[in-house]
Amino acid sequence: MCRAIQFFALVGVFAFVGCDAPQSTFVYNAQTEGLPQIAQTGGTRDGKKFKGIKNVLEDSFGTPHELVAWEKLPINYGGIGGSADEDAAEDEPAEVSTEGVVDPASFSFADASDEQLAAYKEVPGYHLAAGRALYMEHCLHCHGTSGDGAGPTAEYLNPLPRDYRNGVFKFTSTNEGKNATRADLARVIKMGIAGTYMPSFMLLEDEEVDQIVEYVRWLSMRGQLENALGAELAGNYSDKAMSERVEGGEKRSEIMGELREELALLPETADGLAGDIADAWIEAEDPETQIVPSIPHVEDTEASRQRGRAVYISAAAKCTNCHGAQGLGNGKQTEEFEANAATGEKWPEKGLHDMWGHIIKPRNLSRGIYRGGRRPIDIFRRVRAGVKGSGMPAFSTGVLSDQQVWDLVNYVKSIPFGTTAPAAVEQKPSEPAG
Amino acid sequence: MEKKFWVGLFIVWPIAAVAVCLAAPSLGWWFPPNPAIEGSTESASAFGHRIDDLFYMILVITSVTFVLTHMALAYVMWKGSKVGENDKAWFSHGSHSLEVIWTIVPAVILLFIAFVQLDVWADYRVISKFPEEAKENAVAEITARQFEWRIRYPAPGKKLQDDPQPDDLYMVNELHVPSGKDVMIYLKTDDVQHAFFMPELRVKQDAVPGLRIPIWFNAELSETYTLVCAELCGWGHYKMGAEVVAESQDSFEAYMLRLQEEQNYDGTPIADADSDEDDEV
Repeated sequence: MCRAIQFFALVGVFAFVGCDAPQSTFVYNAQTEGLPQIAQTGGTRDGKKFKGIKNVLEDSFGTPHELVAWEKLPINYGGIGGSADEDAAEDEPAEVSTEGVVDPASFSFADASDEQLAAYKEVPGYHLAAGRALYMEHCLHCHGTSGDGAGPTAEYLNPLPRDYRNGVFKFTSTNEGKNATRADLARVIKMGIAGTYMPSFMLLEDEEVDQIVEYVRWLSMRGQLENALGAELAGNYSDKAMSERVEGGEKRSEIMGELREELALLPETADGLAGDIADAWIEAEDPETQIVPSIPHVEDTEASRQRGRAVYISAAAKCTNCHGAQGLGNGKQTEEFEANAATGEKWPEKGLHDMWGHIIKPRNLSRGIYRGGRRPIDIFRRVRAGVKGSGMPAFSTGVLSDQQVWDLVNYVKSIPFGTTAPAAVEQKPSEPAG
Repeated sequence: MEKKFWVGLFIVWPIAAVAVCLAAPSLGWWFPPNPAIEGSTESASAFGHRIDDLFYMILVITSVTFVLTHMALAYVMWKGSKVGENDKAWFSHGSHSLEVIWTIVPAVILLFIAFVQLDVWADYRVISKFPEEAKENAVAEITARQFEWRIRYPAPGKKLQDDPQPDDLYMVNELHVPSGKDVMIYLKTDDVQHAFFMPELRVKQDAVPGLRIPIWFNAELSETYTLVCAELCGWGHYKMGAEVVAESQDSFEAYMLRLQEEQNYDGTPIADADSDEDDEV
């Protein structure tokens, strides 16, 4: 009897007390972690305190639990401005409060009344805070708390989830080298990416998708600022650079003094870099940055596909180098040792690499799976802007005219069906790629 | 004292089971709410009623069996608890006739269930017994994958082909079907097993790698129904939800035209005037 009571008492205790979830934190990239301690977390110089990269990031972005609304960034925090104009930049970052009538973290759009919706929007920073809550629920397990693409499930996935921290997204409607628009990111969340593990979140409300998009942009900007700050210092003060300089005859204490001097100016440096980052995101939303074909879709005829095929194998486009003569994604370049674009050194293994340093396969065009979307405009933009961060280059209007790109689109879309006359296909087929 | 505590504990369960069985239907615990009828958990498809009848029949049989066996168990334990610490134990070597009875009775019950459900099973699963209307209305091919439903429709005015066609239309996680019609879809999977489950319409079918499985149903009223995965398919199983929009033939056709226009989008502005009106239908 006594033991039975003990047992039920124990069950009761666990049921009521539970166990606390660990607090999540933002992680820092390898470049930051490779800098001297004072560059990471600050120190003192002539009796005055100065900040390290981690302090500056925490001041400007906060933690996953206490977000900071830095008005310098073009983020719609919800109820707090968000612009890159100079006046706003003077303001101290305001902390996003999740206190108020309605907790944005547990707000349900589906069940909300009009009054609840109005009350919800009174909470400063509700938009980003709600984005954070949704991100934690739906995105974090692949993309990670910091947007580094290293969430707990990431290691089981191929292709890997996107690491947002360099601000590059593959499928955009914007010109070569430009950032993604909010609409581009929203479309990816809604439609998913066929052929990858990114599923569709079609059932989320539009506003919820917008909130996730805003949080992803914000994480992206945080990563970009960290990269940029680290890059400012890594050239002279990374472990490797330091030991080279010491070998070159410089005194370690002198180098550290120099670093202290630079770090004293770190908040101003961050401010300038954030301005550049903000400008690029603002520019992406400018209609001028959008890829808009000058002529409508050329009708999908046999003649157009044949012209497209000619472009496909032409020396100007060189599509066959990667995608192969049959579009199977097995071009000869996939068998070569490429140089790393960032360092200029050759990769140790054969094949194409993306900017994240992973092996990447050119798309097998015969499968009819189009990661960036299957609409004619999607494929048009893949050719014009390239697939950002991957080896797929952008073909400017100087290389291919709009007419040629449309012909190419028609040809590419016909590959899965083999409807382009075989006369144009003269090369030997080889092993298909994934 | 301790013996009686355990006996009491075991008696609680059959009593609770009966109470829950009686309370459940009025609390809407058995079936999901019917989106078309406020406060009702009735099946949203006529065929679903036949599934429900089978469900109720099996529920009655199992409930009665559950309660009777627990009453017997409680009786035996209650009687046993009265046996004194020093009484001599009594060993049984079994009863042949009792064993024959409890083998034959369940076998008869199982055979009864097997025969009763044959018709429903055949009408629901065997393609030669599908309604003619369903066979003519192959609306879409649905490919389940971790963790979403990818949908392929034929172009407006064309029939769904086994293999993808250049003018097929694609969507994800939002299936449109004409309401009040027997319709058919084909179910495939790209990776592991999934289950196509529309609880309000009482449709559930596993998607099995390598098979292309036809499913027919009839969503009687124009409503939005739930589609979920009912086979634990991986860590993201919970997010594999979708919507099934049943709408009149006219608005279904208008939707397909909109989808076609959207899919042929070439970056030049779409004339929105018509499609906005269609949204209201």
